[in-house]
This record gives sequence, C-alpha cells and structure tokens, in this order.
Amino acid sequence: MKKHSGFNRRDFIKVSVMASGGLLVACGGSSSGGTTANSNIAPSDNTPASPSEEYQLSEFMRIGTDNRITVLVGAAEIGQGALTAIPMIVAEELDADWSLVSAELSPVATRFNNPYFQNLLQFTVASSAIRGYFDTQRSVGATIRQMFLSAAAERWEVSASSLRTEASYVIDDIGGRSASYGELASAAAEQNVPANPALKDPASYRIIGTSRERTDASAKTDGSFKYGMDVDIPGMLTALIARPPRFNGQALNIDDNAALAVSGVRGVHRIPGGVAVVADDFWSAEKGRKALQVSWNELLAGRTDSAKQRAEYSFKLNLPGVPIRSDGSTLLAQTLSSETLSADYYFPFMAHAAMEPLNVVVDYDGSSAEIWTGTQSASLDKIFAGVVLGLLPNQINFHMMPSGGGFGRRGNPLADFVRDACFVAKSLQQPVKVIWTREDDMKGGYYRPAASVRVSASLNKANKITAWTHRAVTQDVTASLYAENALDALHDMKLPPLAELTDFETGMPYKIDNVSMDVHLTVLPNMPALWMRSVNKFSDVYAQETFIDELALRVAQNPYAFRRSLLSEKPRHRAVLDAVAQAANWGQSASGVSQGIAVMGHWNSFVAQVVEVSVSANRELTIHRVVSAVDCGTAINPDLVIAQVESAVIFALSSVLFGEIILDDGVVQQSNFDDYPVLRMHQTPSIETVIVNSGNTVGGVGEIGVPCVGPALANAIFGAIGERIRELPLSNSNFILA
Amino acid sequence: MLTIQVNGVAQTVDAPEDKPLLWVLRENLKLTGSKYGCGQALCGACTVHIDGQPTRSCVLPVGAIGNKAVRTVEDIRNEHIGSLVQNAWRELNVPQCGYCQSGQIMAATALLKSNSAPSDQDIDRAMSGNICRCGTYPRIRKAIHKIASEQL
Repeated sequence: MKKHSGFNRRDFIKVSVMASGGLLVACGGSSSGGTTANSNIAPSDNTPASPSEEYQLSEFMRIGTDNRITVLVGAAEIGQGALTAIPMIVAEELDADWSLVSAELSPVATRFNNPYFQNLLQFTVASSAIRGYFDTQRSVGATIRQMFLSAAAERWEVSASSLRTEASYVIDDIGGRSASYGELASAAAEQNVPANPALKDPASYRIIGTSRERTDASAKTDGSFKYGMDVDIPGMLTALIARPPRFNGQALNIDDNAALAVSGVRGVHRIPGGVAVVADDFWSAEKGRKALQVSWNELLAGRTDSAKQRAEYSFKLNLPGVPIRSDGSTLLAQTLSSETLSADYYFPFMAHAAMEPLNVVVDYDGSSAEIWTGTQSASLDKIFAGVVLGLLPNQINFHMMPSGGGFGRRGNPLADFVRDACFVAKSLQQPVKVIWTREDDMKGGYYRPAASVRVSASLNKANKITAWTHRAVTQDVTASLYAENALDALHDMKLPPLAELTDFETGMPYKIDNVSMDVHLTVLPNMPALWMRSVNKFSDVYAQETFIDELALRVAQNPYAFRRSLLSEKPRHRAVLDAVAQAANWGQSASGVSQGIAVMGHWNSFVAQVVEVSVSANRELTIHRVVSAVDCGTAINPDLVIAQVESAVIFALSSVLFGEIILDDGVVQQSNFDDYPVLRMHQTPSIETVIVNSGNTVGGVGEIGVPCVGPALANAIFGAIGERIRELPLSNSNFILA
Repeated sequence: MLTIQVNGVAQTVDAPEDKPLLWVLRENLKLTGSKYGCGQALCGACTVHIDGQPTRSCVLPVGAIGNKAVRTVEDIRNEHIGSLVQNAWRELNVPQCGYCQSGQIMAATALLKSNSAPSDQDIDRAMSGNICRCGTYPRIRKAIHKIASEQL
C-alpha cells in the first residue's frame, strides 16, 4: 500500500458527512472503536488518536488538496484484490483520475459493514466483497461527484447541470474553465448530500471493466507491505501456545521449570486453549515451548478418527436426511424407470494452509486494548475480544490487517485465534504477538470438513434421465457458533443467516423433472471445522459432475453435448460450456491426451472448465492444461478475475491431488508442507481463462474456479484409463504427479 | 554480539548464534520483508541472498554467516535484475496475497542473474522450492520469460 508521505490529516477534507446522508446503512456507531486511519501502516508511524478524534474519522475516503484520493475499504484484503476492485467502483462513479487513487483497509466500524450480510458485519467470506459492496460503493462515488459539481457551480455561479466531470476535474465547457477535485475539496464537503445521485449507464464505464494494476502491487514486491505478522510495537513480547494433542483437551499439570530456564523466556501462562510461553522473541519462545512439560486432561477431548468417521458417514448415506431440494417425485420416477445407477463419494478433512500462519498482536493495559490481525471477520473478532478482555467496543481499537491468504480460515465466526491471543494478553497485560507456527496452523483445526456424497440417477427406456438424487453427509460448520456459550454476550446482536454459508449444492442445473437432495449435518463440538474456499460445492459438485459424465457415457453421448442438451433452460451455464469447449478445442486434443469437462453456477457466477491429462502405465499424471470460461456478470477488473481463476485452479489441484488431514483417535497426523504437500511450480499446468462478458449483475469470483477442476480432471482420467475416482485425494488412488 | 553484513551495511546484533537469520532480520533489524512460512525450509517465503545465492533464512543460524553478504528483498531494487523482476511483477499483477512474493522475487532474481534465458525446465528447477497458495505460478513463469526475452 502506498504511504502518504508529505501528507497530514489537515490536507484532507473529511467526508464523514456521508454517514449522516443515509446512503449507507444507518450506523449507530456504537460498535465503532474507530482507529487511526492508516491501519495498515506500522504502528510506530501512527500517533495515538484521542477518543474525540476517533469518532471524527467517520469517512469513506479522503481527498487531498493535491487531488490524491484514498478510498477506505471495508472488505478484507486476502489476496483477492479488494483494495483494488472496490476503489475502482468508487472511482468510476466519482469520475476520478485512477492514477491518483489509493486504498486502505477501513477501521472496524458499522459504516463499513458488508451489505451482503445485511450490513451487520465486516465479513469477507462467500465471495461477497464485490457482490456486497458494489451498489453502495457506486452510490458513495456518485454522491461525492455530485457534491463536487455543486461546489463548482456555486463557485462559478452557474447551474450544476451545465458542468461535467472527468478524471478528477469539474469542467465548465461554456465558461472554458475547470477545477480539480483537490481544489474543490473543502467547498464540496460543505454541500448538501444529494439523496439519490444518478448512477452511470454501464456503457459509459471508463474504469470498471478495464484491467488495472493492483493498488498493492508495488508494496508487495519490495517487502514494505505490512501483514499482521509484521506488526511491531514498543515493548512487544512474542508468545507461542502449547496446545493439547486432541481438540479441547485441558492442561492438567504444567512443569515450566525448563521452559523458564531458557534465555529470553519471560513467563508461562495458562489460558483456556493451552499454555502460552511468552518470550522476548520467536526463537526463545519456540525453544521455551519445546522445553515446556504439560500433561493434558483429555477426558472430554475430541476423538474424531478419520477411518471411523468415514464408516459412519457411509452408513448414513443409507438413511434419509433433511431435504434441501425436492422437485416432482423421485420415488415414483425411480419405480417407473428402466434402470437406476448410483455412486458414493468420499472427501477427507483438508487444511487451508494459508502462507501467513495465524497471528495476532494485542496491546492490553487493563482498561483498553489495541489489536492487529489479518482477518476476514473483523467485527466478530472485535466482539469476542471485548468478551474475553471485559472491554466495551469503544475501548478496543481493532486493526484489520491484510492477510497472507485466508481461504475461509481467517473468517472464523468464533474468532478462535483472536480469543486465544486476548487470553494471553489479559494474563500478561503487556503488548504481545501470538504467533502460530506452521505446525500449529496445520494442526489447529477448523478444517474443510470430511464429507460423503451419494448420487443416483434413473433412466427410462428412451435413455432420458427421469430422476436425480443427491445426499450429502458432512459436518455443520456453523452449528457451533449458535451453540457457543460465549455468544450469550451477543444476545442483542442479530446474526446474519450464516447457515446458508454451509453452501450445499441445490442448484444442480440439468433439466431433470424429479430431483431430490438431502443432507445429514453432524454436529461435532470437539472437531473444529470451517468453510474452505467453495465450501460444500467442492464435494457436491465433484460428485454431480463426475456422475453426469458417467451417465453421458452410459447413453453413448459426448459429455459436452450431453450436458449441453440438459442445459437448454440455463443459458448462462450453456454459454460458459460452449465458450470453454471452443477455447479448449473440445474433442480435438493431441494423441495420448484426454479431456474432461465440468460446469456449474454459484454466487451469481458461472464457470465451465476443461482439464487435459495424460496417464502413464505406472499411474503418473501429466496435467497439460486447464481451460476455464467464466461469466461473473460484470468483471470489475478482468485481469484480477483471471488471476482469481488461476488461483482457484491451483488451489483446487492441491486439494484434489494431495489434500488430506487425517485424524487418528483425535490426533492430527499432518504438520507441515512435507506431509501436507501443495502444488508447486513444476506441477502446475498451463492455465487459460476466458471471460464471458454477460453484462449481468456482479457475481462472486473468489471461489467459482475451484469446484469444477476436480471432476473435470477425474473425467479426463476416466477417458484415459477407464477408471472412476470416487474419493479424494488422488494420491490415495496411487496416482502420482509427473 | 554478532556482526553481519546486511544490504551492504555492517549490523551488530544482540542474538544467540543459533537464532535463525530470518528472525534476526525480522526482529533485531526490523527487516520484515522476508517472511516466516514454515520454519523448515519447505516453502521458500524466507528466501534471501547469501553472497548472491538464494538461501532459506529460516533454518540458517545467524552465527554461520560470518562475513558473507546478506541481501534481502528490501534492497533488491539496487540490483539491476532485481528491479526488473519487481517491475515485471507489478506489470503482470503477479502478487495476490503477496506473502510469498519476497521469496519468489529473491529466487527469480537469482535465477535470472545466473541464466539470462531460462527454459521452462530451468524455471521449474529454480522456483519449485517456493510455495504460493494463491497460485501465482503461471504469472511468475510469464514474468521471468518476459524479462529474459525483452530485457536481458
């Protein structure tokens, strides 16, 4: 992120007037602790804000007299480009000079809440950053543009309607004069806030729909970009937490003599989640933790065992679950059918394994706290911090830091990592950075839950699919949120419908008259699970899109043509399917190369993908190419949409090929990138992505590229060797990557 | 007290000899561009140059460095190829979350310094030790080829 050298706050007008303009959701401001504006700049660069100042920083952007614009972004930056795309939306309606626009993450305050979550939270999950903020950010830009027009009209004593704006200037064509936004900034701030500013016709967009360099690209290439891990404040100590081998175990006896004897170790503190070793630096804390002796009470600890759980899930596939979709009568159709085929699938636990291990800095002095962490769930984190520390929201200054990856792990509504750190800080009452080692992060739970899926289809004599059933057995990743006692503290606060984020596949798009889908959601309080990029779509779509391929071959049809014929009423699915078939030269692959295809829609976006693979006699896979066609409605920054799809393809390949966390009687067996491998450069195929520009409403982009990769790959492998793969990862079916 | 050469400056640090260079850079010298990712030389986020060689600083005891020159991402712009890499990374929107990119940039700079026209296989060999969970590998490959074909 750019630093604002040469600026001070006096150069900026405050457009907090926006908050009272009713443009964004009414904000009580009660949960606003406010922060200093430069929340991503190292704390040492910040001057502590007095309480009276904090509330004055109610602003969506700052405009400097030199025409520089800084947009404050309420969504988390987890790599997806929120700090670029959201300012582009504002800049479009503002008619700003994009080269002078920069971005910062906002304070944690209600006025920055995500409209997608009913304006209740700053929460960046469910591919919701653009979908959530698009409309309101356009209004912010259009409103302020109108205020510049009014200010110029007043100055020149002409009608605002005779003026136009372009690249951060108001232009009076008749009078032959112009004024920059910077010149007009203070006068504009005095204007009335227009109630319903006109929005642009998308046909006249100049910024939306163009590929632009990321606003954070520069700082992310010279080491200056600050993540939570990089926060450094005076007197800060470093803590590592020794955690029980099984989830929710409790420390029974602690022998800290050897740990305290390690040079640099300052103390050992028992917290609910384990035992914290606090030291002057990371190295001392790590040595201290190794020397620490703890015996654990595991009477009530989690004993999830992957093999046993798999057997239970397989059994549950035979029992009816809770219906989530019911079209026609599948029972009747099955009875009348000539044949019913069925297949069972299994998917293991998987770890998000973001590159930046979890970490939190807390500066707590007994009566107030300042907290820094990379998170996707800042509002709830802050609430839980208050619960743990016994502080009111306005006594906590919470800095939402950019994250070195999230993939859902940093969007934990239970705020596990923030609570742990607050317990350490509460005991310590000194600034502390709690660092998770890679091993802590890998073993720390909140995984993509394991799942079993059964799909069946019935065919009539004419080889038409007359019935489709889909049953999923998995763990409810939101149940614990509602069960947690700690949430009593939130009784006044309405929670958004998080259950829908469990995100089961109900949108099976094919034209089949009788469809029944149901689920078994297990609640396992001692087995922390959470959403991971594309959530249950990952497993549900894998089953759906490999099984539809089986049916195509069963009726001797081309898998592409078969899908196409069943999508006659789904034009957007069909458009991406056609686009990917064309881009990948479907049916024309080189000798020895097998193609597989898959299609889906989700979060108002649509994707079809083709994977090309060769399989050697000794089961060595060479993945040559992955081609994707994506319709996300309106692409704000097409290059970043393409980047997200590339990212999703590689993320999915890691999961499909290697991703597996195994629990043996409650103990996680994986620990680091040696036993939890992820895709590397030499294993990465050629990736081609085309955007199908439908001009529809903005759709989600962060997850859409994940679910179809697995089934398209599995379908291609079937084409090569005639073997169906019904469980992941592929490494368990003895495939190796060339 | 130890003295090490970092980015052309002799730095005296109060650290035990077994403390990994990564943490000396990050904690003692406040050079936080080099990142902690795995602590086991498995991911490459901590890559720095030691006498020009890309090295995993998370497992390198600071006491083992002696007089060798340490260069970090904060200083890589002062090498011609380093600045070309940074520019190409920006132009092609390579970084996503960006956390691994310091290591990627140090590895790519070292590759291009020793090989001005790397093949795909050369890139695989030089870059496969650096993990990126955001999946920026295709753009890294493209950026390296672009620099080699247009600027070297």
